[in-house]
Amino acid sequence: MGFEQDITRMEEITNQLQDQATSLDESIKLFEEGVKLARKVEKGLEKIEQKVEILLNSAEDSEEEPELAPFTDES
Amino acid sequence: MSDLFSDQTFTVSDITMLIKQTLQGAFHHISVEGEISNFRPASSGHWYFQLNDTKAALQAVMFKPKNWRVPFVPKDGDRVRVSGTISVYERRGSYQMICEQISKIGEGDILALLEQRKREFAAAGYFDPDRKRALPVFPRRICVVTSPTGAAIRDILQVLNRRNKAISIVVLPALVQGEGAAQTIASRIRMANRWRLGDILIIGRGGGSIEDLLPFSDQLVVEAVVESEIPVVSAVGHEIDWALSDYAADVRAPTPSAAAELVSRDLQEIVASLHESVRHMARTLSGRIALSRSRTALFTPQRMSEYFSRRLEQLHLQNDDLKERMTVHTRERITSMKSTLHTLSGRLDALSPLGVLDRGYAIVTRADGRTVVTRADQLKQNDHIRIQFGTGAVTATTDTILEEKNMEEEYGI
Repeated sequence: MGFEQDITRMEEITNQLQDQATSLDESIKLFEEGVKLARKVEKGLEKIEQKVEILLNSAEDSEEEPELAPFTDES
Repeated sequence: MSDLFSDQTFTVSDITMLIKQTLQGAFHHISVEGEISNFRPASSGHWYFQLNDTKAALQAVMFKPKNWRVPFVPKDGDRVRVSGTISVYERRGSYQMICEQISKIGEGDILALLEQRKREFAAAGYFDPDRKRALPVFPRRICVVTSPTGAAIRDILQVLNRRNKAISIVVLPALVQGEGAAQTIASRIRMANRWRLGDILIIGRGGGSIEDLLPFSDQLVVEAVVESEIPVVSAVGHEIDWALSDYAADVRAPTPSAAAELVSRDLQEIVASLHESVRHMARTLSGRIALSRSRTALFTPQRMSEYFSRRLEQLHLQNDDLKERMTVHTRERITSMKSTLHTLSGRLDALSPLGVLDRGYAIVTRADGRTVVTRADQLKQNDHIRIQFGTGAVTATTDTILEEKNMEEEYGI
């Protein structure tokens, strides 16, 4: 699941936890799922490194795939 | 005029004053076009410069109260149009233009052109609010169409690096001013879309003259923005600058830095809200558990025994009550029976044959004393009988059997 879906799922879980119609057994399972998701998202975020690239192809609307290279600020 | 003053001699002051009045009166609120040279901003804030064309020069000054509102700082070589009044500086015997307004030549034409285009684009529906899409909250990669060496990309990288290192950036290098700029910008926008190079597209550049910003108002660029499937943020120049791409984009950012802020949530804030979200879940759950616990608390052994003994007490009470009522009832029954008995025994006494005997009657039985004789015809002559009195008895032998008459007849009742 992607980051956005994970966050959406966490919101769902929070809503279900607040719903008195959800059984306690289910609530505990939901809570465990929520905590796992939060950990997963946080770990995922830590791992992501900012990549800055620059497009090398200069041909306009070229059919060739875009060629990317690391971008370093020259100034 | 020379005729008028030919026989008159002036002091320098007088003639200067006269020239001043003449010039100021005749050249009030005029406009002059020319090229700036020898631009000298004074420490007082006033601008001194010279306006030239190929054949002549005109000294000019623009005082601070007027020039602080001018959106650009003129420089030598700028072709400008100034409006104001010609004035004379008596001490030096020189005249100069006191400028009220200054604008770059052609700027007015450009603005008119932009207004015209803006109306056309608006009519074509390019600026419709319904077209505006929300930016994704968690973009993974952002495309930036700008000059790879400009201030804009530097600002954007700086902001994204500080706020959110989880967002990657692809720079799509483009010319951002002059000939061919609009084509490259439009081409980069299309390329980003064709290869889906990012979740958000920022197009922009740093500040510049209205002419410098023109490519971002070009039809090619505006149409590429309108067609873009990737949401577009337009970030052209400084706060006061604008371009038609601002109107066509999904979001207008006042500056490139602001664009970077708009597209990125602060990573620390995201993590903090994650933690808060978990805490919220934990609070909700422990609330639920506490509620359940308070419900199950009703069923602890202690509570159960309490319930039981309370129930028992109830039974005891009920039992005692019943016992009490039974006793009373029984006692009443006995009393009532006793009284019945009493009544009955009274009546029994009355019916006792012994009582009757006491009153003078006697019982006749056969000699065995068992078979009671009630009728005379039960006996024959010389039968042995027994006569029982109230006290004592005798035996006897029958003498004569009298006629059969019952007592009623005999006594005439």
